[in-house]
Amino acid sequence: MGNGLIKDIWLLSKRSVQTTLRSPFSFIPNLLISMFFLVVYESGLSGISQLPAFDGADYLAFILPVSVVSAAIGGAGGAGQGIVKDIENGFFSRLLLTPASRLSIVLGPIIAGMLQLFVQTLLIIMVAFFMGLNVETGFFGIIIVLLIAIGWGLAFAGYSAGVALKTKNAQAAQAGTLIFFPLIFLSTTFVPYELIEATWLKVAATINPTTYIFQSMRTVLIDGWQWWEIAQGFIAIAIACTITITFATVSAKKAVSRG
Amino acid sequence: MVKGTIEVEHLTKTFKKGNVQAVKDVSFNVKEGEFFAFLGPNGAGKSTTVQILTTLINASSGKVEVAEQDVIQHPHEVRKHIGVALQETGIDPSLTGREMLKLQCGIFGFNKEEASKRTNELLEVVQLTESADRICGNYSGGMRRRLDLALTLVNKPKILFLDEPTTGLDPSNRKSIWEYLERLNKEEGTTIFLTTQYLEEADFLADRIAIIDGGKIVAEGTPPELKSQIGNDLITMDFTSEKETKQAMEILNEELEATDLVNKGQQLVMYVQDGTKRLMEVVRVLDQHSIPIQSINVDSPTLDDIFLKITGEGIGEQKGEVKHG
Ligand SMILES: Nc1ncnc2c1ncn2[C@@H]1O[C@H](COP(=O)(O)OP(=O)(O)OP(=O)(O)O)[C@@H](O)[C@H]1O
Ligand SMILES: [Mg+2]
Repeated sequence: MGNGLIKDIWLLSKRSVQTTLRSPFSFIPNLLISMFFLVVYESGLSGISQLPAFDGADYLAFILPVSVVSAAIGGAGGAGQGIVKDIENGFFSRLLLTPASRLSIVLGPIIAGMLQLFVQTLLIIMVAFFMGLNVETGFFGIIIVLLIAIGWGLAFAGYSAGVALKTKNAQAAQAGTLIFFPLIFLSTTFVPYELIEATWLKVAATINPTTYIFQSMRTVLIDGWQWWEIAQGFIAIAIACTITITFATVSAKKAVSRG
Repeated sequence: MVKGTIEVEHLTKTFKKGNVQAVKDVSFNVKEGEFFAFLGPNGAGKSTTVQILTTLINASSGKVEVAEQDVIQHPHEVRKHIGVALQETGIDPSLTGREMLKLQCGIFGFNKEEASKRTNELLEVVQLTESADRICGNYSGGMRRRLDLALTLVNKPKILFLDEPTTGLDPSNRKSIWEYLERLNKEEGTTIFLTTQYLEEADFLADRIAIIDGGKIVAEGTPPELKSQIGNDLITMDFTSEKETKQAMEILNEELEATDLVNKGQQLVMYVQDGTKRLMEVVRVLDQHSIPIQSINVDSPTLDDIFLKITGEGIGEQKGEVKHG
């Protein structure tokens, strides 16, 4: 009776994907917001890319990372939402009462969240191509953008799952996603670093890991293979993932242990 | 083959949050194939006990063996042999009833065909075949309960834990769950541990009952044993005012040396060994003191009376005034 770990993970991820697909309002708003960044800012602000600080870059390629990060964070947030829903409707306890591996019970919603992120990011990039996106580093550049999106999404999935498991409460988990705003907007979101005027925003942008994520993506999209610029994004991801996944693991252990 | 037994010794549980002692030194055993009921009011510690027995939370101290395994040391083994329906149903509202059951089958290691077969069987048992392909978020409360029950049966558990399985159900739904549980217990020999606030439910279903109140077991036995513990009969008297009830209580106490009396406002209940004989005396004495009796009855006690006597409270009633001899 009971299964190996892989079968448990497969069953529970499949079920989380099903659950997500059946409540489209859990992902459609986020997808629309991400598209909004791309379409509205591209058509409304693209004029500013005439400024010298842009070095002649196409504003579409400049704003695309914002849209991608927004989609990634939203998708990854689905992991936490899935876990909170399970806890609130008692399904989490029902699973804990079966011989299912404890890891699979937590991993199911996280894997589904990551898949959601992947699909959303792909959609955004496709739309950007329809709008005439030109990628300096070509196909492999797109792979890099996807990898960064997934890595950054994983960091955020760890965070959202950790908050969900710790608070076990939908409102708290929802409030936790508000970190989205400073992360996205206190950065080089709409203009390059050199064009930021306020000192506090400069400081915020320097501390904000999202700045390095934007930088990595923009480098491959606009400038070409400049390794150090690209690597900084991956370093930010590694640090963030270490912190949030540790947090998620500790919270998960507490939630499935029987204190 | 493991046996569907439960052994609990000196179980206590203190929740750090609020420093609540929810379970206080509880010990009991359930034999294989026995139908055991845990009966108690709100906050008695029923759900806490169920959660400890089913590996969901840890005890503060004490020893618990379920299906011959220690719940702390071998929770994984215990989980294979039990079916649990907690007080709150555990259902993903975005799946259909059939999908929920198939998922549960999958988790217990069934292959596709086995899962389909078992799912159809169980849908039939809980009469959900027609609604099987509807999203269970749209099920009624009764349908959810029934689906929840079906989910607990997937692995043909040796021991079934049911935390207030019929609370909130209409009489016909309750009746059909009762019948099903009886059959499961008699025909399959499944050990059943059921909690309830309904005395009639425990009386009707259980081989043995433990009454829990304030985290302690205050009485335990078969339904007839519990009934005989408090005397064979009880006399119930109705008065027109609380003042008269009080006077009657004092008079009966003094003149008839009646000690087992419970004051329920305008009603007085007297526990006695020989109801019909005492009835005459009661009427005579109260008449002498000119206290008018609205009505008077002799009954054999129900579990409700037992509960009233032991805990001093009827289910959902104000604390009564109890005098013990
Ligand atoms: N997680 C918890 N943290 C703190 N206190 C708790 C917790 N769970 C239960 N309690 C407390 O423990 C006591 C027993 O609760 P329990 O849920 O076991 O009662 P119950 O008999 O199931 O009641 P009901 O009939 O209302 O379901 C109550 O005082 C309750 O407030
Ligand atoms: Mg309860």
